[in-house]
Amino acid sequence: MTLDWSIVWLNKGLLAEGALMTIVLTVLTMGLAVPLGIVLAFMRISKWRGLALLSQCFVELFRNIPLILIVYWSFYVIPILVPVQFSAFTTGLIALVLCVSAYNAETFRAGINSVRAGQTNAGLALGMSQFQVMKEIILPQAARRVLPILATTWVSLFKDTSLVSVIAVGELSHVALQIRSQSFRVLEMLTAMAVIYWMMGYPQAKLSDWIRKKFEVKE
Amino acid sequence: MTDTSPIRRAATQRPLLEYKHVRKSFGAFTALDDISLTIYPGEVVCFIGPSGSGKSTLLRGTNGLDPFDGGEVIFDGLVLPRKPSDVRKVRRRMGMVFQNFELFPHKTALQNVAIGPITVLNTDKAEAEQQAMILLAKVGLSDKADNYPVNLSGGQQQRVAIARALAMQPEVLLFDEPTSALDPETIGEVLSVMKALADEGRTMVIVTHEMSFARRVADWVIVFERGKVLEEGPPEQIFEAPTVERTKEFLGHLGWA
Ligand SMILES: Nc1ncnc2c1ncn2[C@@H]1O[C@H](COP(=O)(O)OP(=O)(O)O)[C@@H](O)[C@H]1O
Ligand SMILES: [Mg+2]
Repeated sequence: MTLDWSIVWLNKGLLAEGALMTIVLTVLTMGLAVPLGIVLAFMRISKWRGLALLSQCFVELFRNIPLILIVYWSFYVIPILVPVQFSAFTTGLIALVLCVSAYNAETFRAGINSVRAGQTNAGLALGMSQFQVMKEIILPQAARRVLPILATTWVSLFKDTSLVSVIAVGELSHVALQIRSQSFRVLEMLTAMAVIYWMMGYPQAKLSDWIRKKFEVKE
Repeated sequence: MTDTSPIRRAATQRPLLEYKHVRKSFGAFTALDDISLTIYPGEVVCFIGPSGSGKSTLLRGTNGLDPFDGGEVIFDGLVLPRKPSDVRKVRRRMGMVFQNFELFPHKTALQNVAIGPITVLNTDKAEAEQQAMILLAKVGLSDKADNYPVNLSGGQQQRVAIARALAMQPEVLLFDEPTSALDPETIGEVLSVMKALADEGRTMVIVTHEMSFARRVADWVIVFERGKVLEEGPPEQIFEAPTVERTKEFLGHLGWA
């Protein structure tokens, strides 16, 4: 069996576009899933039972279904639910956001809960309002615990964006697999894919390790 | 006939704090059972008694952190409100020092002391930090202003916590076992800061197991047991001639006389 690596070089433009799309998808997903996760976490700890329950249902639903199923589900169900025609990209983005915001909600909730009650009491005893306690005391401490977990989620998300290739979103996996099936250069394309993912993913993983070390909570 | 009731020097003034028939339950368990007490301005009052007798519960209800179920607290002539936004206004006039310090770990010693005035009183940051420096000097920690709590010893952290409480210029200071979490060698430095505050004439309510400190510094001692007041009186009476047998037993357990 002969390997012909020129197929990778010939398609470098397409692959670069795919890689860029992967990055865009990761950034957009996180950009939406962080604020949404915060909203869901605050709903979950709010004193209005209805809001808390709603958030809990959302989180437990999307956290416990395989992402690929959410992707397919979005592809087939969203067109039924809403009259607007979304592009494959938007549909894939929605699926990723649903899943990652559920994860993030739990991350934020755990971060907030990890700050012990005595800290709240100390803030309240000074005469602060609940809001001031949250802003000045709880969130800054929660952030240190949340950031490393968000970094880990980011690294997983970067790889998981490949799953939206099943609904033909033109990110790296989809582009590479398309070239593979047109050229039959299976081994070359899969290897190229692995190398590109690794080259992009490795620095992110290192950055994530660094963040985890830097923000390690010492008390 | 001689008056046998103990002398309470401050009792001629209007009370600063009054507890009237205070009750508190946790489920079926009664933590505070009809407590009525008075604290006068300038007094150092020590709460003593076995673990679980309700001392912390009484202190936490005093500033409404954990409101009572019945009865009322009267602070400076006004009943402690129940509405969160109202109780906050009263709470800022009481300083609280916790057993576990509860300094804010993400802030330096200086920021810990300044944050109350900055957030609650809208004090200008520079002015609040200037005041905070003065208070840190007062507790002997000027050189630790830029340290984070993690880099301070327990005794130093507790002194910062006292400075943090003082920053709000409270009318009463509430201490909940301020030295119980400390290594023996740092207890003294915290107690001497507290003694200095007492000598300034500050009103202080102190839950403590430091009997020799209570004996030396308190104007009035209140002994608790099972959510009730067992006995109250000046330290000479409580420690030298308790009138209630259970007080003797309790002090005996602690190895007191
Ligand atoms: N949040 C709570 N829930 C249930 N029981 C509590 C709670 N806080 C205190 N208690 C109980 O109330 C009693 C009095 O507690 P506390 O005021 O902390 O005692 P002390 O400070 O004198 O040791 C104890 O028996 C304790 O177990
Ligand atoms: Mg206690």
